[in-house]
Formats: sequence, C-alpha cells, structure tokens
Amino acid sequence: MKKFQSAAELSSYRESLRSGNGQGKPCLVICGGTGGLASGSNDLMRIIKRTILERGLADKISLRITGCLGFCEMDPFIIVEPGNNLYPKLTMDDVPRIIDAALAGTVAEDLLYREPGSMIKRVSEGDIPFFSGQTRLILGHNRAIDPIRIEDYLRTGGYEALEKALGAEDPGWIINEILESGLRGRGGAGFPTGKKWDLARRADGRRGKYLVCNADEGDPGAYMDRSLLEGNPHAIVEGMIIAARAIGADRGIIYVRTEYPLAIRHATLAVKEADRRGLLGKNILGSGFGFEIEIFHGAGAFVCGEETALIKSIEGKIGEPRQRPPFPAERGVFGRPTCINNVETLANVPYIIRQGAAEYLKIGTKNNAGTKIFSLVGKIKNTGLVEVPLGTPISRVVYEIGGGPAGKTRIKAVQTGGPSGGCIPASLFDLPLDYDSLARAGSIMGSGGMIVMDENTCLVDVAKYFMAFLKDESCGKCFTCRKGTQRMYEILDDITAGRGTMEHIALLEELALTVKDTTMCGLGQTAANPVLSTLRYFRHEYEEHVRDRKCAAFVCKDLVGPPCQAACPLDTEVWRYVALIEKGEYEEAYRVIREANPFPSVCARACDRKCEHKCNLGASGGEAIAVRALKRFVTDRVDPAVYKPVPAQGNGNAALKVAVVGAGPAGLTAAHYLSLAGYTVNVFEAETEPGGMLSSSLPAYRLPRDVVRKEIDSLMNDRITVTCGRVLGRDFSLADLFSLGHKAVFLAMGAHGSWPLGLDGETVHGVYPSIDFLKAWNLRGEQWARGRVGIIGGGNSAVDAARVALRQKDVESVVLFYRRTRGEMPAYEEEVEAALEEGVTIETLVSPVKIHARREEIEAAVREGVELETLVTPTRILSRGGAFTGIECVRNRLGDADASGRRRPVPVPGTEFRTPLDTLIVAIGERPSSTALGKMGVALDKGGRVLADRVTLLTNIPGVFAAGDLVTGPNTVVDAITAGKKAARLIDRHLHGLELETPSRRRVRPEAFIAPANVSDKELETARRAAPPALPVAKRRHNFTEIDSALSEAAARKEARRCLRCDLDFIDKAMIPEKRPAPPVKKRRSAKTTDAAQANKKPSAKPRTVSKKPARTAKKTGPDRLAPRNTTALKTAKKPAARGNTSVTGKKAGKKR
Amino acid sequence: MNNKQLDSIIDKYHDQPGGLIGLLEETQGLLGYLPEYVLRAISEKTGRPLADVYGVATFYRAFSLKPRGRHLALICLGTACHVRGAPRIVEEFEKHLGVKAGETTKDKEFTVETVNCLGACALGPTVVVDGRYYSHVSRRKVREIIAQTKRGQETGDPAADRRLVPMEASCPACGQSLMDGKHPTEGRPSISLEFLSDGGGGRLHLSSLYGSPVAEWEPAPPPSSPVSAVVLCCPHCGKEFESRSLCAECGADMALLRIHGGFHLEICTVPACRGRLLSLIPTPAEKRT
Repeated sequence: MKKFQSAAELSSYRESLRSGNGQGKPCLVICGGTGGLASGSNDLMRIIKRTILERGLADKISLRITGCLGFCEMDPFIIVEPGNNLYPKLTMDDVPRIIDAALAGTVAEDLLYREPGSMIKRVSEGDIPFFSGQTRLILGHNRAIDPIRIEDYLRTGGYEALEKALGAEDPGWIINEILESGLRGRGGAGFPTGKKWDLARRADGRRGKYLVCNADEGDPGAYMDRSLLEGNPHAIVEGMIIAARAIGADRGIIYVRTEYPLAIRHATLAVKEADRRGLLGKNILGSGFGFEIEIFHGAGAFVCGEETALIKSIEGKIGEPRQRPPFPAERGVFGRPTCINNVETLANVPYIIRQGAAEYLKIGTKNNAGTKIFSLVGKIKNTGLVEVPLGTPISRVVYEIGGGPAGKTRIKAVQTGGPSGGCIPASLFDLPLDYDSLARAGSIMGSGGMIVMDENTCLVDVAKYFMAFLKDESCGKCFTCRKGTQRMYEILDDITAGRGTMEHIALLEELALTVKDTTMCGLGQTAANPVLSTLRYFRHEYEEHVRDRKCAAFVCKDLVGPPCQAACPLDTEVWRYVALIEKGEYEEAYRVIREANPFPSVCARACDRKCEHKCNLGASGGEAIAVRALKRFVTDRVDPAVYKPVPAQGNGNAALKVAVVGAGPAGLTAAHYLSLAGYTVNVFEAETEPGGMLSSSLPAYRLPRDVVRKEIDSLMNDRITVTCGRVLGRDFSLADLFSLGHKAVFLAMGAHGSWPLGLDGETVHGVYPSIDFLKAWNLRGEQWARGRVGIIGGGNSAVDAARVALRQKDVESVVLFYRRTRGEMPAYEEEVEAALEEGVTIETLVSPVKIHARREEIEAAVREGVELETLVTPTRILSRGGAFTGIECVRNRLGDADASGRRRPVPVPGTEFRTPLDTLIVAIGERPSSTALGKMGVALDKGGRVLADRVTLLTNIPGVFAAGDLVTGPNTVVDAITAGKKAARLIDRHLHGLELETPSRRRVRPEAFIAPANVSDKELETARRAAPPALPVAKRRHNFTEIDSALSEAAARKEARRCLRCDLDFIDKAMIPEKRPAPPVKKRRSAKTTDAAQANKKPSAKPRTVSKKPARTAKKTGPDRLAPRNTTALKTAKKPAARGNTSVTGKKAGKKR
Repeated sequence: MNNKQLDSIIDKYHDQPGGLIGLLEETQGLLGYLPEYVLRAISEKTGRPLADVYGVATFYRAFSLKPRGRHLALICLGTACHVRGAPRIVEEFEKHLGVKAGETTKDKEFTVETVNCLGACALGPTVVVDGRYYSHVSRRKVREIIAQTKRGQETGDPAADRRLVPMEASCPACGQSLMDGKHPTEGRPSISLEFLSDGGGGRLHLSSLYGSPVAEWEPAPPPSSPVSAVVLCCPHCGKEFESRSLCAECGADMALLRIHGGFHLEICTVPACRGRLLSLIPTPAEKRT
C-alpha cells in the first residue's frame, strides 16, 4: 500500500477510481450498521453473496454494504441502484427475487415499499415521502459508501476538501470560511464553530494543541453521531484534519462511547487506513503539516459530554466538570489548548470547505445555516434518521417525513435535546427547528434526538424518567444538582404512585428553578428542563395524577391497576369475569358484568372495546384477549334473571319525580339507576320506540332488534314510565316538566342531526343525510337507496349506511368516498373489510368533516363488497331536473396534520372527476338537533352541543342535567351508558342537596382473588385469539341476519385461559388464601403467567379460588349513594361468590393435569 | 488472570498519560469485572492512589466491581425505548430470572443490566445479549431471548444453512488450490494455510464455509500471538499472502486469498480475531500505483 506523497497523487488516484469499472451494473445496497444488523441484515448479505458466487453473477451485479441508511423502521431493506428501488422488511427468501429483478432491469412489484395506511406503492427511494422530504447533505453519503473501504469515500469526493485546506497558504482562510458559513455546533448548544476555532487558533500552541471529536453521544434517543461514525468515518477524519490544520493542532482524539462497538471499529479502521495512506501522520500529503488521531473509549458517563468533564475523562480521571474560565481553548487536555467539536459538526466541515460558505448559507435560515440530523423515534410511523434544513417546522418532520403517529393515537408532544431538553406540545408544531426557537419554547436542540410521544405516553412519567437518569448521572460535585435531581425524582415518584399533593407540584417547580440557577455545568443548569417544560405545557397531567389519581396514558401502574378494568368507562372488572369464565362460573361472570353495565347484551355486540385496546397481552406483542366475544358468550348463555335488582323502598325517594328526555342508552341507564334508588322516573322519547341510536341507527346485522328490546325490558320496573312519540320543544317544554312536579330533568337526546356537505344541491331528491336514511329503514322499513349508491364519509355511520344500502333491494353498487386514506378512516377496520367484501367500493382522500367509525367496520364493509375511493373530496353535486345524477370530486394528497393530529387532505387542482350515481348518502358526522333547546334558554356551543359542566353535568338551567352525545357529539354506546350512570348518581346527590363535585376515584386494587389457571409456556405461545364464528359473505350480503355468533364454550374457556391476570399484580396480599407452605406472592405471579413448569413441579400449589369482597360494600357506601339503596342487587352478587369458593376449587383441582 | 497478563496490560498503558480508563477496560475485558485485588495491583504498579483507581472504577457505568454471569443482558432504557415500554421489558427479565436489574442469577448464568442508550433508538425497545442485538422486543419475546441464550447460538446443520457460503480457495500468487480434503471441517475440505509466528509455525485449517467461525490451528499458536499478528503464507509456493485492507474487527492486516468466480477472501492475521471478509468487489487500480 503506497502512501500518497502529495495532493496531486491523491487526486489522480481518486480520478482513477471514478473511471474504474463497476459502473453501470445494478448494485444492491444494504445497511450493515448497528440498526440493520440488529434487524437481521447480516443474513441477507450472506444470501446475496452466496447467490452471486453460486450463479457467477460478479460481472452483472454488485453489492454494497453500507452504514446506516436512515430509514431504520424498514430494516432490513435493500435499495437497488440505479433505479433506487427500495424493498423494505425483507426475509432471506425474498433475496433471490430481488436479484433476478435487478438483473432483468425490472422491479419486484410485490416487494416494493408501500406507504403504510394508503398502501400507495413507491417505486423509487426518491418518491418515498420519508426521503423526499429531507435534504441529505451529510447523511446522504452513507448510501454510497462501504465504511471499511476508503475507495468508496474517495469516489464521492472524499478528501477533496483536505486538498483544498492544505493548499491554502494561510490556515486562517479555513476559519474564515467556517465563520462565514455560520456553522454552529451540532452537539447542542449551537456555539459558532468558526469562533471556537479562532479562539483555539489564537491559543499558545508551543506545547501542542488537541482537537477532540466528541462522539460521546450520551443523549438517550439520539444516534446520528453513531451512524455518521459507523457509516462514513472518513468524513469525520477529514473534518478533523481540516480543523486541526485551521487551529494548528497536532493531536486528535475521537472520544467514542463504549456502547458503540461498531462505531469504534469503523473509526479505528478509518484512522489506520488514513495513516497508511499518508492522510494522517507527520507530513500529510507532503504539506509539512502533521496530525495524529487516537481513539478513546468513553466508559459510560453522560456528564462526559460536557467539555471540561470530557477532558478530565481523557486524562484518566473521574469525569467531573470544572469551573470555566480557563476555557479548554486555553487549558484543555493535559493543560494544552483544546478544541472540542461534535461528530456532526465535523461532518459538515468537508462539505463547507469543498462547496464554499456561500453555497452552505443557501441552506437553512438566518443564523441557522445548514442542515441538522434528527433521530426521529418513539411513537412515530417512520422511525429513523432525518436530515432537514434548520428552520424546518416540526410538523413537517413529524407528519410528512415521519408519517404521523404509529398507531391510531394522536401525537401529543415531541421531546428534543435529551435530558437537557424539553417537551414541545403538538399545538406548537409550527415551530421551526432551529437553535433559538427551541430554546424559546423551553427546550434545546441538543444533539438532535426527537422522541415522539402520543396519548399512551405519560408526560409526568417522562419527567420522572429523565430525573431518574439525571440523578444517576449527576457527577455530584454541585450540591444542588446532586440533591436537587434526587429530590425532584422522589417527588415525581410520589406523584406517579398516587402519593402526590398539589403542594408537591409547587415544590417541584421551585426546586427546578433553584437547580437551574445554582449549578455549575451544563448538565445541572439544564437538568430542570424536563420538569419545567412538562409543567409548562402539561400541568394538567400533573394535576390529574394528583387530584383524580388518574394516569390517562395508562403508564403509571399504581394509578391504573388492571388495565382492562381501568379502560372500561363503566369500571367493569373485566379480568374478573374472564377469570370466572375460565373456571366455568358463567352466572357469576354475568353478575360481574351486569353489576357494572345495564346493557350487557348490547355491549357484547356494539362496544368499541376499550378494554381490548389496553390489554397487556396486545400491548406486549401478542393478541389482546377477545373480551367482547367472551362477554357475548356469557350474555348469550346466562339468563338475565340471575341478576335482578330490586328498587329501594321506603326511603322517601318515590315521592320525587325525575324527567329523562331521550330513551337512548344514556337516558335509559339513568332512568334505571334512579328507579333503583327509589325515584319515580318519566322518560320521554321522540321516536316511536325506545332505544335511541341502538334501534334507529345501528344496523340489525350488528345488533338484532330483539336483543335491544329484551335488554330494555329487563331494565324496566314499575318506577319507570316511558312515553314515546313526545318531542321536547314540540309537544312540551322544560318549564312544563317542572310544573308537572319533576324535581330534576336529565337531557339525553343524543345527536340525531347530520352535518351537511355545504354544497349546492344537497336538498335534491336522492341525496340523504345518513341518520335519516338509517332511521327510515330501521324504524319504518323504508328502502331509500337505489341504483348506484355513493356514501360520503369514513366513520362508522358511513360504513353502516354503506352496508345497509348494500342490503336494500334496488341497489346495484355502493361506493364509499373518503377524503383521507383508508389507514386514517375512523371506522372499525373489520367492518370496512366486511363491507368491501359484501360489495361496497371505497374512494378515499375525499370528504370534508371529521367522522367516527372503527376499523373492524371498515374491514367488514370491504369484505361485503363496499368499494373504497380514498383521498377524494366532493366538490359538486350533479343533478338534472331536481333529481340527483352524480357527484364531482377532487383528488387529495395528505398535507400537514390538523388539530386532531391527523394529516389534512389537500386538494390537488386539476384532478376533478365525476362519478354518476343514483343515491347519495351524506355521512360526514352527526350533531345534536338542539335548536329547540336553544330556544328554551339552554346554552349551546357552535356545533349545537349542550354546554354542561364536565364534572356536575349541570346545564345553565338549574335542575337540568345533560350528558351523552347531546353534550359530546357522536360517541360510543359505552360512553353513553357511562354518562347515564353518572347522571343518575349526580341527580340523586342533587336531590338530597349534596355536594356534586366529588372526585370520582376508580378502583385500582382488585376486590376479589381468583386463583390463576395453570397455563404452560407452550399453551401461552401457541394459543391464538378466539374469533367468533361469522356468517360467510354470500349468506349475509342481502339480509339483516346477525353476522357474528357466540363463541363455543370450549373456545371461550380456552380464550379466557390466555389472560395474563394483571389484577394479581395489584392484589392486597391479605386476600390471597393461606397455603402450605405459604409461597411468596412473587412466586405465584410467575406461575400465573409463564412459569408453568415451575408450578407443575409443585403439586401442592394447586389453584384454589376464593372470592371475597369486603371492601366493595364498604366503599360503595361512601361517595356512591346509589349503591347502598340497591342492596338486593349487591347481595345477589355476593352470594354465589361464596359458592364459587367451594365448588370451583373442587372441580378445578380434580381436572388439573 | 495471572500477574504476567496484568503486568503486560499495565505496561502497555503505563507510559500513556491518562491510560487508566483504557487499562481498566482491558482488564475487565479479560476478567468480566474488576476484583479488588486487581484494583490494588493497578494502584501499586501505576503509583496512583487506590482511592483514585477506585473512584474511576466506580464513576463510569461500564465498569463493574461485581462478577457478572456467563451471559450479559443489557436492556436499553433510552428515551425512545422508554416510551415504547422498556420498563416492562426490564420487569419481564427480572421476573423470569428472579433477579433485579444490576444483579446476577445465583447460578451465575445471567446478569441483567440496564443501559442509558444503545443508539438503536429506531428499533426500540432494544436488548443486547452477549453482543447480539434484539429489536422491537416485546414482553413475549423476552422468554424466547432467555431460552435462546441458554441454548446457545443455533447449531444447525452447516450444509443446510443457506447463510453459509461454500468457497473454493486458491493462492493468488501460484494459483494452486488451497483446498485440503484430508483435513475436512464441517464436512467439506478445509482451506489450508501455513502460518509463521514468533514461536514457530504450523498449519491453519479454515472452514471453507463463509460465515462459519471454525478455524483449527496446528499446533495452537503460542500464547503471545492471540493479540499479535502471524504471517500467513501459501503451503505450495511459500509466498506470504498479500494484504490489501485492514480487518474491520481489529484493524490488523488481512491476508488475501483468491476464491472461485474471481472473488477474494480476506482473513485477519490475528489468531484470536475472527475477522473474515468475502469481497465481491475486485479492488481496482491497485497494481497501477
């Protein structure tokens, strides 16, 4: 290996490389960085090599193993040049097909990248929004370079900048260029690099000077420095030599953290290689300038990112920062002048020197020139490294490049700057990403970590996380930092464990400000940022934790308890009835369900299953327990008569009359519980039969009418009178209700109005609001849809309308037009599938207002044959002679996110198209029909919703309560039931003159112990989620027969066995029955979930079931005044609990393997 | 570890200013942790006060004063992993192994530790067990990871493993085959080379499956050589194999052999290093300069 003696030699070698062979043949590019290797890219490389070798393809195809390519979410992926076709998430079996396609000059269509959600195929890397939104000045080179081959770096123009820098007579020219470029330190603080170099240059260098590359990337969540050092180490080496030349340094150190073994290897290799080639050493390229680099392994201390601490660490000491001045530029490593630059800063240097400062200034904004690499991670769809010009708005990075939230949740905040940074709420996502804007928002740029947080992230927990980190990483030199971070952590721990008070929050804030003001180094001064920024933007979360003992994100375990129960708005003990099903105790299971929920059979079919979404099994990579299917199993099997509550007698309440307006789930629930408390309740219903949306809107194939009727009948008693066909505002007024002797009124009329499209011609014959259309069929059997039917909307009511239309006799086809993509459709995915299967077409990216429907609905619809047309917005309603003839739509693309966090559809001009139709159903959302209420003086918001207090449910009119869809707008069945339950409790308190604003705390600790089943590892691993039997498409497309049926007993019990029994993590140990020998609780827990082998070894530890609920009655006598009146109901619930105690034990123990 | 080894490490770092961290790192690399007697010995031999040595050894997270188990599971607690549920992964490891993070199981099989960030943030939650990365770890996956680690790396049938690439090697200088049917490894002829080291020389039989770590030395190279390079030459013409690039694992010279189809196999000349590279890219223009 020959050393380059001069710049000319290097130059000509580079030219020879560029003209060399290897050009023109297809090349497979694959990431061999840490991320790629962790995802299995190594196996793919081997298969590629093997295939090329075996088939003798060396002249026809090549392979390049590179560092990080940035799109880590898609790892392991291959990019095939020259078409830059990106094939994501590959397996070994896919490789031969990709090679064949590359050889043939074609693409392997089905393996190509598709956008998640819209499934739009992208043939070339440049068409993928993740890449097209970026400016990859620095990171872009990674793709062209095998980091262990200097030739690759040279071919891309490597070391050209060095030639230029060495050629300059006066090294001051380099500093000027960097100063003019405006380059600021990419390590976080943003100090101008040119200024730093100038200071170092002026320092006395007679004893030598050091240039240190800080690759101690300690910020958790940031990995761009690793990727640069791993993927393009020569760029860092070149940047260092140029910097050294500029400041006159003779020795260089790359300080890499030991957690980055591959970066260490590649950096070491690059330094050796550069040395071998004469690019380092005594007389670099014959210029007379000498510089050496050594690699130093950081041993894992966050504080060593601070420059004075880093210097101490290099000197082999404890990494404690020291007071400045003297600054490192004067006294640094071993007392010599030292300049410390971050990896990314140095990676920018060759670019600036090669292209010139003027060119560099064109990128970014004023005072913030150039690009910055961010590691976009956390709860985001496209995780990876993103390089954008400084000044790019956060929203563009998060939504356009990042693709928005990973799941169906909303993004809440991004955290930037690591433990020294802060959280920026989604409302500020217009903020440009530059040093100054981030600082103003209470965060910092930091090294570029951008951790996206969604609704399932608790910001108090995040603050606690950072404080736990900082208390460990504080070097301990300053008292306020050492004790302050410790104490802040303790306070946060108290708050997250439910021990916090409002005073804690105030103390936390005071403490944070003190730590900020009284510490010496960067770590201490910024240590308060995670607390201060979350307090600034998310104080309500802190308050919720303290006041309501609630963690809405379900993160703070001590406040949540078993997640299924916590997720249920009705506080149903899901885990408990699942466990009872496992034991075969179906009647008891029914009582558990019924005690929380007066509409068990309805919810067994129409609940949106919040419990399943929070199930720990699903959250931990498995499939959630099929709770709704289990509920259906129980409610289908057990006679509701096993739970028969008896209204309270003789408490004087019978003389008090309450009026309920609206006989939907909210109104009937309230009436039911009020009647149990002894009140006389009059219910007024506008339609011809009670049930509200349950009977008028929900299609019978999802919820059969007789189920609704039976359930409503079982709620009735002689205290309740339901009067149908009576409309508030038409037939009677609020004043009438009071003059008839009602002491309180509960308004629960729901949301039965439809939002109009706002287009001309909406009133022509053939255009119907979806609610009217559904009611006409459900209540009166009228078939309005005919011919070609178009549905506008993407929510459940749109999908319901589509599937109902499909079942009407004169319908030819059904197309659903939606303005976003299918991935964003709020409908249940299964339902949409089903609809499509049944014959509905869906056009997406089309319509204008927000809708609520659910995924399974979408799936079901698609399966039934509904066609989907997405990304389209209707622009005109076409009609001839007063009759509807079709619609004109414009195609959309997805733009920035709107307030709901979903990406806004942006119309693409010139893409208008017409669809001839015979019927149009507008299902873009429902709203309350509340004009009459407004006339009676009830305060409404702009959408016609009643303004009622969130806590007391009181409207502006005394004695008038309101809840349910009327207040919230269209919402789920279970939320309506919850609203009714709450209204009953509050009306009861109101009528007895009691305080309404009581904190409603949920039960975290289980009130019963049910022994877990013995489930073997194998069973846990192989058992799949139970799916209820469903009617095949052919048998359901043209009728309203219920599609799903109940699980078989065997399937239900098998399903129940999969439950992780999270309740046992929270149980009061005293409730667990004594055993011989008494095993510690922990053992039992492990036996329950996984370690069945261990449990099997000890036959003495056979499961026993004991239920006791002493706390329950006691607690209910407290704030919930309705319960004690309802004692009969409670007693019936209690008795079999005792029975279960004996029978289950015997039965189960005998059966056990 | 014997005193001689420790002495040689101390000597290596002795004249390096600030070499203490490197010294501790290398010592721990050999022993798995830093026992008290080693800290005392280092203090005595380097002349740095024991308090200093102890201070540095306890300040940095990378050092452990407690023995670690045979397997080390590092669970990343970086912010990205945290928001994706890493604390639950820690709990799961603790539950299955019956130890707390930072502890070692009684049978000395497993040590569970947390780490601030592994820099694989896009793939979180991330766990590294014995240097092997696991991405998108879920609670379910934890059991598999533990079981797999206990079982050891997959030891399937090399002939059936498509990830192992069969090679036919020859000498780039004399062109003669290096394949040795008399000394098969993994059911195939081995690649047979001659080696020379300070303590003498012998034969090296490499597996002819690329991706297999099998390498048999006859006789075993002298103890000093694991860290230093040997000379590898052709058993037919006796010529030392040319070195074109440096080992990506350890930075030492690589010896270049020819493989059928016009490719090259480069193997690291340090016996303890497993660095090998099947290069599909012909290194161009070398001869010209």
